[in-house]
Amino acid sequence: MDPLLSDDQHLLRETTERFIEKSLPLSSVRALVGSGGGADESYRSQGAELGWFALLAPEALGGGSISGEGVADAAVLAEVRGWFLQPGSFVDTNVIIDALVNDTSGVDRSAIVGSLISGESGASWALAGPGGAWSGGAGLDWRSHGDGFRLDGHKTLVVEAGDASWLLATAEGPDGLAQFLVPSDAPGVTVSLVEGLDLTRRLYDVGFEGVALDSASQVGTPTTAPAAFDRQLALASVLSTAECVGAMDHLFELTLEYSKDRIAFGRPIGSFQAIKHQLADTSLNLEMSKAAATAAVKAVQVGDLASLEVASIAKSFVSDAAVELAHACWQNFGGIAYTWEHDFHLFLRRLTTDASLYGPAAFHRERICQLEGI
Amino acid sequence: MSATPSLEEYLAEAKTWLEENLEPKDPREPMRVRGVGHSTPEDFLPARALQKKVYEAGYAGISWPVAYGGQGLPTEYQRAFGTMARGFRMPNLGVAGGTSLGACAQTMLQHASDEFLKRHIPKMLSGEELFVQLFSEPGAGSDLAGITTRAVKDGEQWVLTGSKIWTSGGYYADYGMCLARTDWDAPKHRGLTWFAVSLKADGVTVQPIREISGEAEFCQEFLDEVVVPESDMIGELNQGWSVTQTMLLIERSSGRDDPSFLPPVDTGVDPKLVQLAEQVGRTKDPVARQLIGQIHVNDYVRVKLGDRISGLLRSGDKPAAGIASYWKLAAGVHDPIRARQIMELGQGVPLSWEPGDGAGERVGIEYLNSRVWSIAGGSNEMQRNSISEKVLGLPREPSYDSNKPFNEVLREAHSWTGSA
Repeated sequence: MDPLLSDDQHLLRETTERFIEKSLPLSSVRALVGSGGGADESYRSQGAELGWFALLAPEALGGGSISGEGVADAAVLAEVRGWFLQPGSFVDTNVIIDALVNDTSGVDRSAIVGSLISGESGASWALAGPGGAWSGGAGLDWRSHGDGFRLDGHKTLVVEAGDASWLLATAEGPDGLAQFLVPSDAPGVTVSLVEGLDLTRRLYDVGFEGVALDSASQVGTPTTAPAAFDRQLALASVLSTAECVGAMDHLFELTLEYSKDRIAFGRPIGSFQAIKHQLADTSLNLEMSKAAATAAVKAVQVGDLASLEVASIAKSFVSDAAVELAHACWQNFGGIAYTWEHDFHLFLRRLTTDASLYGPAAFHRERICQLEGI
Repeated sequence: MSATPSLEEYLAEAKTWLEENLEPKDPREPMRVRGVGHSTPEDFLPARALQKKVYEAGYAGISWPVAYGGQGLPTEYQRAFGTMARGFRMPNLGVAGGTSLGACAQTMLQHASDEFLKRHIPKMLSGEELFVQLFSEPGAGSDLAGITTRAVKDGEQWVLTGSKIWTSGGYYADYGMCLARTDWDAPKHRGLTWFAVSLKADGVTVQPIREISGEAEFCQEFLDEVVVPESDMIGELNQGWSVTQTMLLIERSSGRDDPSFLPPVDTGVDPKLVQLAEQVGRTKDPVARQLIGQIHVNDYVRVKLGDRISGLLRSGDKPAAGIASYWKLAAGVHDPIRARQIMELGQGVPLSWEPGDGAGERVGIEYLNSRVWSIAGGSNEMQRNSISEKVLGLPREPSYDSNKPFNEVLREAHSWTGSA
């Protein structure tokens, strides 16, 4: 499929494709939409058995990558998951595992990491402030409180928080940015399912009202938090971009098939230059998105300072390209895409949401300028 | 005939010759960019003299057939010499020099007669005959097979009349490799023939074209009953379209490595953008910062698209011509967007400048040149056809003219209504 994948990664890809086709194909994702529920618990634990949450953790904690390059492996999975519009907090759980295993503060979280790797529990990142502010601590205030801390505020657009036992909360306080690992059932935490554009994933509002935490709940310190946050955002951007590219790839394939099958004026509509040229432009857009995603995966795998910028470049490019592609395909399908029965709207909703999660294009362009010292 | 020297022996000897006969050069010295500097035919005389010296020493056409003035050595000798010669000031015959030994000679070697090649190729190698392409016409660009320059047989010679355009370096070249129509009753692709036309012949006028930016690198040629001997026909009579396809493939595959298809930077924002923002005091302006971000994101992704395309070409499961079109289309689509964004960023700077203030003028010239790759060498629309048909597998548009006699096509074109 992708000429740049190794044999091991091809195998990883095929195994995950088979699993999803069997357990949660697009028709089942659609059925979940009708029922208003999420995937059952076995979905996460079976995904975990295939290594979905192990790739960024060291072997000592039960983790391990396939190819030796965990970010690249996770991106392969993300792309497949995106292709099938899969629910679940794959991106967040992996980002949080990465954050916990790289935390040098000395708190032993091996049991928590182990339960995340095994799929026994899930985790979500409480990042965006009210109205979708992605700058870090927006919307959540932290204070020292006795021997520990106290959180007050409100986060939005938290992916699949209803299935999460743990929340990574990014907050702003007197000493700047700080992050906390909060049990989702801690007193004062309210996790509420909200209605949203995307029907394939559930997004939550999370309220924090006088949430008291012990000192071990802090991930890193206010000194290390900004760099850790940068890494998390880059990793989330890369994995989310890979999911997005997978969904784009699938939608484009469906659209191309349609343009060959749909007859008008005595010929397939895909034989008209007006359609062919639009599809060629969309195909270029898709190829550039894949190129951007691959570059960002490579950069974040290395993980140096420059990788932050490359991750933002890819997130920015693909966020714009995803919405552009969705609309081009929409136009190509015509009236059929206006029906609930057709899968198109699931892609449109998913891609438009992807374009904003972990920061929309304009946010990442501004971030690029800051990283460049402009 | 003496035995072929080993590559090491050969290079050692070549190195001595280069050191004794040519000036050294920093291999990293940038190549001349389009739209900079003017030249006259006389300016190329020293380079031609130097090319003759290189040819006589046996370092032109190293892997070309001995019968046509080459050395008949394996291509690795030519490549190795080329790499070594980058450290020396080799003769620079400009854009016509590249066309002459590139698209023209390469196409001739595949299609011209033995007698023709013996007569012309040695002179092309020695710089005595510089060939350019007389290809597009004012009325035929994307629809190349629709050319109307006519060649009429008159005894043992042909008489050519018509006009050719977009000839790079035509003002200092000696010959044009010219596509002409030789059968007007045949369908458009089946009545074409190639000729070598002396640009010094009676009836030839070469007119430099003043371009949109004020520069003049392209020319237009007017052919008024120009006589060409039968022996200067290239390929078979009325088989010109297959020769054309050879030439287009040679052009496209060399174009793939053309650095002008790529934006200037791999990593880091193009410093010229920041300088421009500083010049207009907009580095803190969120709108300007978004523009800088957009330009940088697209620049970076275009470079990475190049990597991806190289990978796809290596994997070889799609036709190379279609895959290469992504590169060309990316340049054709994004160059104009980039130029417009920089104009927006620069506000008044690229609109008026003090004489000698480089920044404003440079931005303005880049803006005026920004649609070169949208149009030249296969327009965006031709690339979109190529991608949609060769890569995406979509059907071709129905053709209304390819099976009719060409003179009938011409007669009826203006009253075309679309009904069969």
